[in-house]
Amino acid sequence: MSHLSEEQLDQIIAAERAREQEPLNEWRTIAARAREEGLIRESQTSRGWVSSQPWLQAAAAVLLLIGGIAIGRTTIGLPSSGTPSASDAAVANSAPAPSPTPTATASPTQLDNVSFASVDDAAAALDRAVREYKQASQFLAANNLSAPNEDSAAMYRTRAAALDKIVNATESALQTAPHDPVINQYYLATIGARVATRQAVSVGLRGF
Amino acid sequence: MPFDQLDLKRAIGGDERAMQRLWSQHAPHIDAVVRRLCGDPELAADISQEVWMQIFRALPSYRGDSQFGTWAHRIAVNRTLNALRKIRRIAKLEIEIEDDTAMTEMETDRTFMAESIEQAMGKLSPGARAVFVLHDVEGYTHGEIGEELGITPGGSKSQLFKARAKLRKLLVHLVDESPTAGKGKGHVASV
Repeated sequence: MSHLSEEQLDQIIAAERAREQEPLNEWRTIAARAREEGLIRESQTSRGWVSSQPWLQAAAAVLLLIGGIAIGRTTIGLPSSGTPSASDAAVANSAPAPSPTPTATASPTQLDNVSFASVDDAAAALDRAVREYKQASQFLAANNLSAPNEDSAAMYRTRAAALDKIVNATESALQTAPHDPVINQYYLATIGARVATRQAVSVGLRGF
Repeated sequence: MPFDQLDLKRAIGGDERAMQRLWSQHAPHIDAVVRRLCGDPELAADISQEVWMQIFRALPSYRGDSQFGTWAHRIAVNRTLNALRKIRRIAKLEIEIEDDTAMTEMETDRTFMAESIEQAMGKLSPGARAVFVLHDVEGYTHGEIGEELGITPGGSKSQLFKARAKLRKLLVHLVDESPTAGKGKGHVASV
C-alpha cells in the first residue's frame, strides 16, 4: 500500500481536530503586553476583596485542596484516607495554598506555621505556588506512572470527567466571587490540567 | 448569564482575571489553529501573542452574534494569515498553486515518513497547508477560503486535492496492516 485511503486520512484529521494543545504562550507574556497597551486596568475591587475576606479565602483553599486530593486519589487509584504518604505531601505542596517560596517543602501541617508580612507577600506566594501547582498537575496529567494500557486510558478519561466537574464548580463559584484569587487560581490550574489530560486521552493513548 | 458573557463584560472593563480566564478557556483551540497554519512553533508563538492582543482590543466590538470562541477563532485565522502574508510565506499563493503539482510530484525525499499529521502538514507548501487546515480541520467552505486567501473556490479545491494526496502518502506508515487490524482494510494506529 503506498497511500492511506481517503477514509483513513479522514480518521486522522478527525483526531487532529479533537486534539487539544497547550497554549503557545504563558499568560504572563500576554498580560504584560496587554498592560503596556492599557487593556488591563488595576482593579481596586480585587485588592479590596483580598484584604477583607481572608477567612473565606482560607476556607475556600482548604475545601478545594481536600476536594482536589480526593479526586486525585480517586483517579489514580489510591485509598481515600490513611496516613499521609509521600504522594500526599507532593500533592499538598503543589496545591495553591500560601507558601513562602516557590520550592516550599512543608507538609500540610507545617503550612499552619507559615506567616506573611503583608497581603502582597501572601498574594505573591499564592501566585508562585499556583504556577508550580499548574506545572505539576499538567506533568502528572500527561505522564502516567506505568506504561499506557486500557486501565490507564480509563483512568485518564475518569480524570478528565472529574476535572470537568471541578471547572464547573469553580465557574459557579466565580459567578459570585469573580475576583477571589484562590478560586481563580484553582480554576486556571484545573483548566491547564484538563487540557493536559485531554491531550493524554487523545494522543498518548490512541489505539486502546 | 453564561459564564463567558460575564467574563467578557469584566474583560472589556480591563479586569485581568476575567481576561486570563477567557484566555485559559480558549487558548488551547485558538492557539491550535495558529500553530497549524504556521507550521513553525516559534513563529506560531509570536503570532499567537498578536492574535490575543487583537482579540482583547476588539472585545468591545463583540456583539454576541456568535459564540465567543467562534468570533475569536475568526480573528485568529485572519490575523495569522495576515502575519504570514507579511513575511511573504503565502504572498505568492497564486503562483504556488500553479506550481504545487510540480512540487508534489518532484518531491525527491520519497523516504520521508511523517510521525504525525502535524509533521506531515509541515511538509506542505504554505498555501496548501492553509487550504487544508481551513477546509479539513477548521471546517471552512471553499468559498470562505477563497475570500480569506484571495483565490478562487476552484483553486482552493485543487489545492486541497493535492494536499490530501501528499498527506496520504506521507502518513501511509501509520496504518496498521497486521492481520488483527481487521479484514485487510487497515487500522489507523497512533498519530
